[in-house]
Amino acid sequence: MDYVWDFSAVVSYWPLLLTGLKNTVILAATCLFIGLFFGLFVGAARYSSKRIFNWPATVFVEVFRNTPVLVQIMWFFFAFPIISPFDINAFTAAALGLTLNTIAFSSEIYRAGIQSIHKGQWEAAKALGMTYTQQMGRIILPQAIRRMLPAFMNRAVELVKMTSLASVIAYGELMHQAKTISTTEFNPIEMYTSVALIFFCLIFPLTLLVHRFELKDNSRG
Amino acid sequence: MGYEWDFSVVFNDFDLLLLGLLNTLKVTGLALFFGVPLGLFLALLRLYGKPLVRIPVSVLIEFLRSTPPIAQLFWFFFAVPILFGVEIDPFEASVLTFSLQSSAFFAEVFRGGIVSIDNGQWEAAKAIGMDRNATLRRVILPQAITRMIPAFLERAIELMKTTTLVSTISYADLLYQANNIAQSTYRTLEVFTVAAGMYFIVIFICSLVVQRIEHYLGRTGELTKG
Repeated sequence: MDYVWDFSAVVSYWPLLLTGLKNTVILAATCLFIGLFFGLFVGAARYSSKRIFNWPATVFVEVFRNTPVLVQIMWFFFAFPIISPFDINAFTAAALGLTLNTIAFSSEIYRAGIQSIHKGQWEAAKALGMTYTQQMGRIILPQAIRRMLPAFMNRAVELVKMTSLASVIAYGELMHQAKTISTTEFNPIEMYTSVALIFFCLIFPLTLLVHRFELKDNSRG
Repeated sequence: MGYEWDFSVVFNDFDLLLLGLLNTLKVTGLALFFGVPLGLFLALLRLYGKPLVRIPVSVLIEFLRSTPPIAQLFWFFFAVPILFGVEIDPFEASVLTFSLQSSAFFAEVFRGGIVSIDNGQWEAAKAIGMDRNATLRRVILPQAITRMIPAFLERAIELMKTTTLVSTISYADLLYQANNIAQSTYRTLEVFTVAAGMYFIVIFICSLVVQRIEHYLGRTGELTKG
């Protein structure tokens, strides 16, 4: 245990780490926003009683929920370009994998949230002559969103952690930068410790926020 | 879409993929074997430890939960040999990382389960003269564990998915084998698709079993009893 820690290289490579952090945030934000947006439609399709909506949505969700996300990213990076009509770089592959994964998981949150709203709300809205979109947009979702918030934030936490997998296909996010620096500076311990700390600072506030929301929700009953 | 699919190469090397799957299951199994008891231990320390113990344990749990598993894996793989002067191979690093990583999540499941048991149970046990350890062992844990089963099983499935990371430190799990075969045969699309399919089959079956168990527990009322 006489190892001497030396963080000087971490400090001198700080700009590279910041670039990595920026790329991590860009990837996470892109996937979160697109994922949550389309998740609503997939969730509504899964809730639908019509088979043409329900079946494809179910297959999609089950496939993406039951395969490892690293396999999804690798598939989009190595396998998909062969049949893809457009070029795939590391960012596109990682974003595709993570976004589709987020759509699948968030659609289940939407579905559960929508299901938790009493049937009478739908019927009352219908009785007022609202269309399906109006019932969903004005009555059901506003009530359901509040209940879904902690689950969505949990997804965001998971997503930020998952972006580190993009390092495997050499997208220049935080983990990848750390890997690159540590191979030239031979300081894996300091590098990965720093990266773990940066991720912790990024994620832990979100975790605390989730706790706060859950407590509030429970006390409301 | 002029691409011609050719799955023959995949089936020539199918035994390698199966071997990889076996290694995936091995890491998952061992991580569960060490992670669950360690999780219980951490949960008890966090709940009933003196502040001097409780605070570091809480920090450890939150840290393991709030950092990406791949960073942890790399850290253990590179740091343990340097810090402790012992050789560590990819398999040992994987088991070590995922046992610790999953123990943090299991600790929170245990804690949630223990906290969910009504206070009256503690008081009743005390009234008939049980001390804290006996109450935990005989009254609280048996009730809490039934409630925790669904959360446990879900974590176990998550764990299996997370173990794909071991391929990045060259442990021969299913993903690593697939990557190797893909690179030597240039049949990337087929190999990765088959590998993803194999993961899907195994994990989907596990998910279905979990759903059945949850359904069963829900029906017997074990999950809702106050």
